[in-house]
Amino acid sequence: MTKYIARRLVQVIPTLWVIFTILFVLAYLMPGDPIRTVLGEEYERIDEATIEGIKEELGLNKPFIVRYFEFLGQMVRLDLGKSQILKEPVIDVIGYRLPRTLQLMAGGMFVALIIGIPAGIVSAIKQYTWIDHALMLFALIGVSMPVFWQGLLFQLFLTQEKYGVALFPVAGYGDGDLTYMILPSLVLGTHLSAVIARVTRSSMLEVRSQDYLKTARAKGLRERRILLRHHLRNALIPVITVIGLQVAGLLTGSLVTETIFNWPGLGRAIVPAIQSRDTPVIMGILIFGALMFILINLITDLIYALVNPRIRYGT
Amino acid sequence: MATSAVNSEIVNLTETKRITNFQRFWRAFCRNRVALIGLMIVVVMIFAALFAPAIAPYDPIEPHYTSVLAAPSSEFLLGTDELGRDIFSRLLYGARISLVIGFVAQVVAISIGLALGMISGWYGGWVDDAIMRITDAFFAIPGLMFLIVFVAILEPSPVTIFAALGLIGWPSDARMMRSQVLAIKELEYVVAARAMGASALRIMVSHLLPNAIAPTIVLASLGIAGAILAESSLSFLGLGITIPNPSWGSMIDLGRNYTLTAWWYAIFPGAAIMLTVLGFNFVGDGLRDALDPTQYQ
Repeated sequence: MTKYIARRLVQVIPTLWVIFTILFVLAYLMPGDPIRTVLGEEYERIDEATIEGIKEELGLNKPFIVRYFEFLGQMVRLDLGKSQILKEPVIDVIGYRLPRTLQLMAGGMFVALIIGIPAGIVSAIKQYTWIDHALMLFALIGVSMPVFWQGLLFQLFLTQEKYGVALFPVAGYGDGDLTYMILPSLVLGTHLSAVIARVTRSSMLEVRSQDYLKTARAKGLRERRILLRHHLRNALIPVITVIGLQVAGLLTGSLVTETIFNWPGLGRAIVPAIQSRDTPVIMGILIFGALMFILINLITDLIYALVNPRIRYGT
Repeated sequence: MATSAVNSEIVNLTETKRITNFQRFWRAFCRNRVALIGLMIVVVMIFAALFAPAIAPYDPIEPHYTSVLAAPSSEFLLGTDELGRDIFSRLLYGARISLVIGFVAQVVAISIGLALGMISGWYGGWVDDAIMRITDAFFAIPGLMFLIVFVAILEPSPVTIFAALGLIGWPSDARMMRSQVLAIKELEYVVAARAMGASALRIMVSHLLPNAIAPTIVLASLGIAGAILAESSLSFLGLGITIPNPSWGSMIDLGRNYTLTAWWYAIFPGAAIMLTVLGFNFVGDGLRDALDPTQYQ
């Protein structure tokens, strides 16, 4: 297992290099004058020579390849530069917002698992009954529901006395007050819960006719034990893969969810940064997004190896 | 004379078989009530988009300053926005934008996907490896994230949106096409075509491509839903295309500020997106089940 982890960790390095290179080329190609972003209104009043000076200072006159290696150096030192608009280090912006995004993602994942897996199991056990049909119809609706629309509906009906019940706060972070987390988590988790329910159902159905289940029944084990120890455990392997793939979707979903609920995460930072062309912030968030993405893939692979010994010992 | 009669009979036989195949598929599709509902939604949406000028009671960009943010009434069916523009009319015109974006993005995605999948499956070897690794990489990138980066670099315009959505959508088409090619490339009629000296391009177009039509339709139907959803999310974040005529996503983005005072502003465009996406997903799911040969018995 240690060997497996080590090998997977080494594989991260080339992936990171490719991502850094792509992001650098993208930032290089990004239109818009960075000087104008830095100076804002003052830009119009400044003479050519000063602008040249600033360009020199920011290193914009250096050749492409020099800037590329400087960028790689910065990445190795984890130096993400300073926001051109907020005038504070990008790492501070991310340091404040990343934990809040992660918190929201954890909430969404919790909702997705709590709803998705039981729904999938029930649906598979009661295949072709009305419960199955109803659950799968809900899953299809859940997949089609736009995150922002669901958020607006919740805000309308669950936070306003006028239209429904005022159960939850409308929006905001609430300094860690968990009631502020409930609606955003529900909204973020709905889509994933529908996906998980569908995968769990089909995986349960696939495993159902396996010989080891017949053996377990023949041994006279109780149905409940067969379901949990033999049936579900084997059926969960593809579910884990799908969850791993979908966590990235949770990250992008949180961009939208944060915008609706005014949640102070990365999404609330990257959208204005794009609109104002604040390149260091955009790059910083994308780099952290990519890092999270790699980390999630790594964790998925490790869990996968943990539940499926064939991978651990193979190759 | 005799041979030609036999030939025509064979032709007839295959003709009838084709029809029954289609009928069988159609029957399976119709048995699925959810799929039929989806088809109805899609047809209604397409009609709404096509005949928007005839159906819309008002001009979508004409303001009515006397009835700003008016609640739904007989005068304004779904209410008005902050400039007094009729939301129902704007929704009808918005259907054009959303559907066109969905369809064009799918055409781009399918063209890229089928071409790459075919090359990958037909040539195999390192070409296959290279294309499949790229496909894996694109699969792994979350769609909305890619769209945001794309828009951050290139100014949002219809062309960049189509290109970006197409670039997100093609991997599933490529994988499907590749597996189709692998399944049939050693079959007699393909080998025969090769032996007769048909070029790779000709084999691809006239032998390999027709086999992929059915699964492509399924993927396209689901893909249109995804593209509409992705575009509206982008517009919702305020990063979408800005055009005089409203897209559904941008209507929600504007209306979001009025959720608590004028709920109809954002809720109705959201319902339109939801219904359309649901319709295409229902149809796609139904098609997949109906085209699944194991269901035919």
